[in-house]
Parts: sequence; structure tokens; C-alpha cells
Amino acid sequence: MLPSLGNCALWLSLFFAILQFIISNKNYNLKYTSISVFGLLITSLLSFFVLIYSHIISDFSVLNVYQNSHTTKPILYKISGVWGNHEGSMLLWIIVLTFFNYFIFKLLNKKNLIFVLKTLKIQAFISIGFILFTILTSNPFERISPIQENGLGFNPILQDPALAIHPPFLYIGYVGLSAVFSLSVATLSLNNNEKIVWYNYMKPFVATAWSFLTLGIALGSIWAYYELGWGGWWFWDPVENASFMPWLLATALLHSLIIVEKRKSLQAWVLLLAILSFLLSVLGTFLVRSGILTSVHTFALDPSRGMYILTFTALLGVYSLTLFGIKSKNFLDKNYFTLFSKEGSILVNNILMTVACAVVFLGTTYPLIIEVLTKNKISVGEPYYNSTVIPIAIPAILIMGIGPILSWSEDKKIKFFKKILPSIFLTIAMTVFIFLIYESYSIIGIAGIILSFWIISNNFFVLIKKNNKNPISMIIAHMGIGLLIFGITGSTVWQKEKINRMKINENTKIENYNIFFEKISEVKESNYVAIRGNFLVYDNDQNIIALLEPENRYYPVTKNFTTEASIHTNLFRDLYIVLGEGNLDEGWIVRIYHNPLVIWIWIGALIIFIGGIISINNNIKKLKILNK
Amino acid sequence: MKKNFFIIFVYIFFIQFFINHSYTVEPEEMLKNQEQELRARKISKNIRCMVCQNQSIDESDAPLAKDLRMLIRNKIIKGQNDTEIYKFLSDRYGDFILLKPPLKSSTLALWFLPIIFFIIGILVIFNHTKKSKKI
Amino acid sequence: MKIQLAKVPVVIFLSILLVFFYLLTIDRNPSKIPSNLLNKNVPYFETKNLIKDEIFISKKEFGKEVILVNFFATWCEPCRNEHRYIKNFATKKKLKIIGINYKDNPNKTKKWLEELGNPYSDIPLDKKGEIAIDWGVYGIPETFIVNSKGIIKYRHVGPVTEKIYKEIDLLINKIE
Repeated sequence: MLPSLGNCALWLSLFFAILQFIISNKNYNLKYTSISVFGLLITSLLSFFVLIYSHIISDFSVLNVYQNSHTTKPILYKISGVWGNHEGSMLLWIIVLTFFNYFIFKLLNKKNLIFVLKTLKIQAFISIGFILFTILTSNPFERISPIQENGLGFNPILQDPALAIHPPFLYIGYVGLSAVFSLSVATLSLNNNEKIVWYNYMKPFVATAWSFLTLGIALGSIWAYYELGWGGWWFWDPVENASFMPWLLATALLHSLIIVEKRKSLQAWVLLLAILSFLLSVLGTFLVRSGILTSVHTFALDPSRGMYILTFTALLGVYSLTLFGIKSKNFLDKNYFTLFSKEGSILVNNILMTVACAVVFLGTTYPLIIEVLTKNKISVGEPYYNSTVIPIAIPAILIMGIGPILSWSEDKKIKFFKKILPSIFLTIAMTVFIFLIYESYSIIGIAGIILSFWIISNNFFVLIKKNNKNPISMIIAHMGIGLLIFGITGSTVWQKEKINRMKINENTKIENYNIFFEKISEVKESNYVAIRGNFLVYDNDQNIIALLEPENRYYPVTKNFTTEASIHTNLFRDLYIVLGEGNLDEGWIVRIYHNPLVIWIWIGALIIFIGGIISINNNIKKLKILNK
Repeated sequence: MKKNFFIIFVYIFFIQFFINHSYTVEPEEMLKNQEQELRARKISKNIRCMVCQNQSIDESDAPLAKDLRMLIRNKIIKGQNDTEIYKFLSDRYGDFILLKPPLKSSTLALWFLPIIFFIIGILVIFNHTKKSKKI
Repeated sequence: MKIQLAKVPVVIFLSILLVFFYLLTIDRNPSKIPSNLLNKNVPYFETKNLIKDEIFISKKEFGKEVILVNFFATWCEPCRNEHRYIKNFATKKKLKIIGINYKDNPNKTKKWLEELGNPYSDIPLDKKGEIAIDWGVYGIPETFIVNSKGIIKYRHVGPVTEKIYKEIDLLINKIE
């Protein structure tokens, strides 16, 4: 009974989306717009909660629950399992869409009526597209009969806290860009007499989408790091790239919106960026769900779904980009900047972010293009992206250090050099200090450390300056990036690995630590059995500082084997152990990693997120003032 | 303007050398000779694990990955150079096994477009900025 | 000039989408890699033959008739599942089938074939997996068609299914 309610709610949400699309017009009573926005929100939430409830009570009459759940799954994972599968994740997409729809609606007032209504119309169209897709090709409320006693379980690799919250954060990022897209298209379709500060409306949505996208991507990397068993956290996997590309463009967008606001320049460019970043989001959805490529991330392979999404993307893209082609000339300006200024640095940042995005896009799609043209398959892997993206990232990071310090319009070179002198000294000092500790001389390592301290020092001095005009959100977010690079450098360049075959009571040394293999035990949990190794970690003074317990698990329901690493983290390094195969006579293969500075990657990402959130708040306040 | 472009080109080529030559860890089949082992790791990082999702044989647990790691080390000991080893593997498994796409007529666009994008970017920057006023 | 520039994004967008549309409509498996040995000679190898005393030398066996080559192992579950199709090729189609035994225990192989039936005219032993590497094998079972001139014409990765059986059947009739 309840699942039918969920299905009804889904159909009703389609109805409200269509209603909103039709009546978002100044000729209709605003009451109807209000009804459609709230109706859309409530019905989509209802269908989402019905699905969650069906999973919690293990209602196996629902195909989605049967395919993805099991009575022995812990309740937290029953819930997160709802969006861990394709159909459920579409419901998550939809409710985030309707939330952003609601936030757009909240901005409506007498002055911006036409503009906001146009935005709502486009947002409604996007909602129709996704709801229709869900109903027609991916309905989570499909029933099966006869009802089985238990479900097909769920991929054990996905039963994980980081992975549980990774999709919601990521989707807020992707779907937030839908609001940005709608605002851009609405702006382009304005008539000459309709003037509005569209960029002030766009800012909070871009800041929201960008912040959540940052953290969403970081959560995915955190999961990969501790789950996949060799201390890696980014693989230039096509689906990872699909999240990185919108992030790069959103970063560019975040920065160029500042220029639009301050100098009324680059408007056409920003409107294009806004369209492209959402199109890349949707294209990313396509890549994951169409079966066009395989990856650890891909959902069930189904070309018919791919066809639908691609067609929908084509409609959105052709309409918005054609509109841009025709109307962008209304937004052109002849303002030139000086290169050595704040505007100049933001322009350079935008160019570099866009070039990086284009390169990642090229690398990701090239194997597919080659396959079409020559029937051969090639790989474009990490070495390619390292060679191409890093040379672009380095100047971008260098400029990020000085951008906030540069003044608007022009800066005198000598005066400026005096301004950054303290941070140059601090950077050199910190770099030397780090190298005294780590005693390893790698050019890339030095470069990474210099870059990270360059940013941290510059932002530190901006922070303590008396008449600092830079927003605190920016300082925090940039600091976060500095810490992120610090962590990335340490963990990539100075990682140490030891692989040994160890018997019980043997030990291995790594860096300053002694790892002692204490015992092997068998473990039984609600949905898996495991072999667990107990390893004691001793430091130089023979003190026990950690007990590491890596496991090799077997999940009987899905017949999956997984390896669970055990990690001891502190601010300086991670100690990371993986248990391989083995037996009592010959011992076990044990892989131990010493990963310096890893935690700073996650701390950095969190701080970037906090900076972004603060700026959302400021942007909304500014918008409210403007609207009075 | 020309001088700026020259600096950029030098930078790009200079960076290439250091980016793909940063080494990390030591596997269990290591060779006694440090230099040879380093070569083996570098090559392994560039060989795709055919049965995994987007991993190199250097990181993978798969049996085939291990076989290929041993094969590479044996060939290094026998004195084969990197090009010969890559050719041996791509003759059998196709270009797909190379994580760094080889430079061929079919991959010219892949390798040169990034430079072209970069140059276009630089041109756009120059187009939109004016020389600062002299005092 | 600027106005023309604004039309560029649509054009680029559409071209990229066309590539994706094309990829969706053709019949392709994103995880299967085409063999690099197609239309090339059978790689040379010589090794012990499980069911004959003489050493198996590839030069002597290939180049006379159409041969099916099947890489298999007793520890491989899908190999077990596809075995009846391989047997069909031997009995119903009267094809010569060479079964290269990959990284296996010869005694186990003998027992396995006793249990399931032996369709192979020869069973070269690839104890270390070196022969498989020369053939570009990455996921056993793998099945190849070699024509009467010793040229590899077809490769399938994974177990032979009903669909693949029919595909190979059709090809055998065309290949000389």
C-alpha cells in the first residue's frame, strides 16, 4: 500500500513540475506558482521518505528494496543504501532539485518578478526532465511478486560512513549548479528593459554548489583512501573526472562573479560558465549511468537510460547555448584590465581553471572518440593528467597566493613586492624547516611545499593586517587550499611502503616504528565474517602507540570478499596496514604504509567548505539588502 | 610577447621531467639493484592492470599484475630498454595497456591540444589586458 | 568577430554529444578489449603436451586447418560452465581444438577432463602463464579462432555463451 503512495507522490511531483513550468509567467496569479513550488517539494519529499521507510522495514515487495537491501544490514546502511543505488539516487537528485527550486522561489518579490519567474520556469523544465526519467526508466517503486523472504543484499564495499554521506553532498553540488544554470538562462532571456543584478542572485547558489561539491569530492577520496587498500585517493577515473570538471568551472565562476559585481565586466563569459558547469554535471550523470564506460563508480549498465539522459542533455544544451549565441552580445563590454591587478589575477585564474577543465575533458573523452574512429581502445591514465594538469595548476596556485593582495585596478610593482616580502620569507623558512624534518629532496616535493606555504603565508599576513578589506570567507577558503596542497604533497611524494610476509610474533620496522604481529582472530558480525590481524605499533622508545586491526571480510549474502585496512592517524602521518592472504604455517602478506600529512588533505577540504559556507551566508545577506 | 611564450614552453617541458619521475614505495619482488628497481617501478606505474578498474600493475593485487611486474623486472635484468619493454606489452595487449598514451598519429590531438588550449588561454589574457600606464 | 565566437559553444557541444549518441547505439562492451593479435600470426611457443609424449610445437600444429584455441584452467569456474560449448565444437562441428592449460596442476587437469569430457586434440601446458601473455590473454577463459594459414582471426574474452557459440559458429563457416 505504502509503495503505491510513494509512486503516486512521484507522479504528483511530475504534475506540479509541469504546472510550475506552465504558470511561471507574469500573467498568472502568483498563488499558483506558490502552490506548484510547495506541491513539488512536498510530493518529492514524500516519495523519498516512502522509499526510505520501505528499505527500513525491508519491504521486499518493492523491487528496489529487494535488489539492494537485506534484513541483516545495519539500519544506517539500509537508509544510505536508498541513495546508493541508481533508482534511489534519482529520488535524491529530485528532492535536491525541488529544494533549490524552493530557494529560488523564496527570492521572489515585486521588483524581480519577471526574472525569478523565468528562472523558475527553467528549473521546472529541468525537474520535469529528471522526474520523467525516473518514472519512465528508473522507478524505485516497481513491485515484484512473489515476495521473496530476503533481499539480494548490497555491495559490502558501499556499506561505509563516508560513502553514505558522499552522494548527498555531491548532489547538492551538482544540483545547485542547476539553479545557477536556470538563473543564467533567465538572464539571457531578459528583454532590454528588464535590468536586474542577476549576478547577486547567482552568487549564493554558486557558493553553495561549489562548497558542497568540494566536500562531496573530498568524501569520495577519503573513502577511496581507506577502502581501496593502497593509500591512493585520486585515480583520474572517468567518474571522478566527471565531478572534478564542474568543480573547476564552478571555481572559475565563483571568482569571475566578483569581477562582474565590481567591474560589470566578463558578464557574457560568466553566463556561459554558468551554463557549461551544469551541462558538465548532467553529462557526468550520463557517464555514470549509461553503460558507456565501466568504472568502480558506474551504476547498472543500461543504454536506454543513457539515451534518455543524453537526449535531455542535448535539449538543455542546445537551447541554452543557442540562446547564449544569440543574446550574449547584450552583455559584452569593452573593459580592459591591467594584468597586474586583482581583476587580472582573477582573469588568469579563470583561464587556467577553464584550460584545466578542457584538458580533463579531453583526456576523459578521448578513449571514447578514438574507439568511434578507429575501433581501437586506448587508455588515458594518471601519467597523462599529471603531465598536463599539474603544469596548469602550479601557476594557478602561485597566483592564488598574490591575488588577494593585489589591488583593484593597478598595482605598483615595487610597492607590491614590499607587501609580499614577509610571505616570501615565511615560505622559504617553512620550506627549509620541513626539509630538515623529512630529509628527502624531491623537486616535486619542494615545489609542493613551497606552493602550499606560499598560500598559507600570504593568507596569514592578509589576516593579521590591520585594515584588511578581504572577506574572511576567502581567507579561510584559500587557507584550506594551502593545507590541501600541503597534505597532497606529503602523502604523494614521501609515502613509504613495506611489504613482508609475517608470521605471528614477528615484527617489521618502518620509519621510526616497530610493527609487531600479535595474533590472528576470527570475527563474526551481523552481516559478515572476517579474519582479523592484531598488530601492535611501537615507537622508538618502545611505547605502544596504536593497535591496528586490519580485516579480510566475507559477506555471505553477496558472496563478496573485501579487505579492510586499519589506519592510525595523527597530524604528521598515517600508519596504514593491509592484511593479505596467508596461513598459520607460512605467515601472512602484510602491507604497511607510512603516509605523511594525509590528514591535512581532509582538514584542508573541510576548511575550504567552511569558507564557502561563510560566503553563502554573506551573499544571502547582501541579496536581502538589495531586495528591500 | 615572444619572450613570454618561450618562457612558457621551457616551463612546460621542464615540468614534464619532474612530474612523472617522483618515486614512492618498494614492492615485494624488488630487484637488488636500486637503479633497476626504480626503473621497474616507473614502468609498472605506466602499465594498466587489465583486470582491474583504472589501476596500474604497480598497485594491483591481481595475479596477472604480479606476473607482468615479474616479467618487467626480468626484462630489465636482461638489459632491455624501456621502449622495448613497452613495445613487448603493447604488441600483445594493445595500446590499452599503456596508461600514458603513446605519441602516435592517432594521439597527436590528445597531446597537443592541451598546449593549444594553454596558448589560446594566454592569448585571451593578453587580449583582455592592457599595458599598465607608465608613470 | 565576437558574435561569431558566441556560436562556437553550441557547435562543439553538439559534436561531442554526437560521439556519445553513436557510442550508445552501436553494440559494444565497454569492458572488453579487442585483441591486438587479430590478423597476425600465432605467437611461437613450445611446451609439454598433457596428452601426448612429444613436445607441443606451435609451428607444426598451426597453419594447416582452422583451429579453435581455448585457454582454460580447472580452478576457473566460468571455464567449467562453458565447457559444454567447447565440446560441441569438437563433436558437432568437428573442429580441432587446442586447449592451453593456464597455470594449473596437470593431475587436476586430467581429473577435470575425465569428469567433464575432453574436447581437446592437444593440451599445451602453460604453467607460468607466459604463453598466455604472448597471446595477450587477460581474463580466462579466452577462445581464439586461428585460420588455416595460422593467422588469428577472432578472440573472445570470458566464457562462451549461447550467443558467442552462435557467433563463432557463423565465423567458422566463413573462415578458411
